[in-house]
Amino acid sequence: MIRIEHLSKKFGDLTVLKDITTDIKTGEVVSIIGPSGTGKSTLLRCLNLLEMPSGGSIYINGVDILDKNTDVAKIRQKMNMVFQSFNLFSHLSVMENLTLGPIKLKGMSKPAAQAKALELLRLVGLAEKAGNYPDELSGGQQQRVAIARCLAMEPEIILFDEPTSALDPTMIREVLAVIHRLAREGMTMAIVTHEMDFARNVSNRVLYMDEGLIYEEGTPEQIFEHPQKARTQAFINRILSYTRRISSPDYDLYAMNAEIEAFCEKQILPKQTRNDLLLVVEELLQIYKPYLRTAVLDMTITYSEKTERLELVCESTGEPANPLESERLTDDLGLMIIRNLTESIDYRWIDGKNRLQFLIKTNRP
Amino acid sequence: MDLHTRVESHATVVTISGRLDAVTAPEYEKRIREMIDSGAVSFVVDFDQVDYISSAGLRALLLMTKLLNAKGGRVCLANVKGNVRSVFEMCGFCAVFRMENSVAEALAALA
Repeated sequence: MIRIEHLSKKFGDLTVLKDITTDIKTGEVVSIIGPSGTGKSTLLRCLNLLEMPSGGSIYINGVDILDKNTDVAKIRQKMNMVFQSFNLFSHLSVMENLTLGPIKLKGMSKPAAQAKALELLRLVGLAEKAGNYPDELSGGQQQRVAIARCLAMEPEIILFDEPTSALDPTMIREVLAVIHRLAREGMTMAIVTHEMDFARNVSNRVLYMDEGLIYEEGTPEQIFEHPQKARTQAFINRILSYTRRISSPDYDLYAMNAEIEAFCEKQILPKQTRNDLLLVVEELLQIYKPYLRTAVLDMTITYSEKTERLELVCESTGEPANPLESERLTDDLGLMIIRNLTESIDYRWIDGKNRLQFLIKTNRP
Repeated sequence: MDLHTRVESHATVVTISGRLDAVTAPEYEKRIREMIDSGAVSFVVDFDQVDYISSAGLRALLLMTKLLNAKGGRVCLANVKGNVRSVFEMCGFCAVFRMENSVAEALAALA
């Protein structure tokens, strides 16, 4: 359906896309992941001709869209885009936002456009908001309207540019659910996203971009479970887990809390679970404090949306010793809290390190 | 953590807001110790604005009780709820401290 050959894009002296070659087939859902600033959004914007590529070719159904004679408006209808910041017209109602394009650009009659709009609003669960204005909707609702507006143009492919980045964690799921539904219905989509579990679940293929190139591509399993290249491996590990090394008893608890909260936000963990995790971490740091004059502690938090397992692993150097053994503790308050907030605790001496593994409860009321 | 005090007829009402954790508990202990050293023996601690407590906070409360016991004083906690109450329950602290649902009830309990 889309063939991209040796695509490049420069902004002045800055080369954002170096040499992109790939294709997207009809019905395929392709997620584009990678660190910030590696050209993911620029690639989408080049496909939609919101940015003019500096070199290379883009073919849609065999037609070179970079040809001077190409009708850009027609291309954008075939390949519509959903933006991070919704981009709804604030002075128009939801219904008017959905009908404007079909009436003006596709020549659809108003009643037909309205009937179609209502059908699409039902699809995204917002039929009752047809008469509302964007400002009266939550961020999640506005993004669902933006998706419906995109569908109103009957595109052959939808390009999603970080569709949940501007949303609160509570609203992310409702938007992802709509995109999941479109995927099940066979819509061709290219999605730039930082939601890794979502990318893993919804995609047929994942492109990992780094340094302006498609550095590695494969099935979600290949990219997330068995990445072959070093940069992909480093990125996947960093995204799916949070690791912090503590090598002094004077650690900055609040800085660590902020990082853990940011990780929890990315994983869309409920507030209660975040609070419990922060409490377990603080209690553990208090327990480890006497060891931190000489030992180094690596704390790693991982979460799997699929299994809903939230794990915390503490690996510390020093003599073999379980820091949770009661004779080593000044009192058992911290341990009581940890036991109440965890499903299981496992201590092992592995590879010359003390390893404590905790499974955090994620279903506390 | 912010800590404000006011003296009612027969007790010092300590209002805490924010977190009572490993970072803030030493400050709480210091302020309480100063008040007890200055002669205060009857306290109500209002937890209405506290959204987080860890074992470090619980230890600070235990220390307060110990200091007051040595002087024949008393403390009653008010508005211990939500996550904070949950931590109290995990550690059996609901049985250790006298707790009331409001500052007024706590003051009445100390009268």
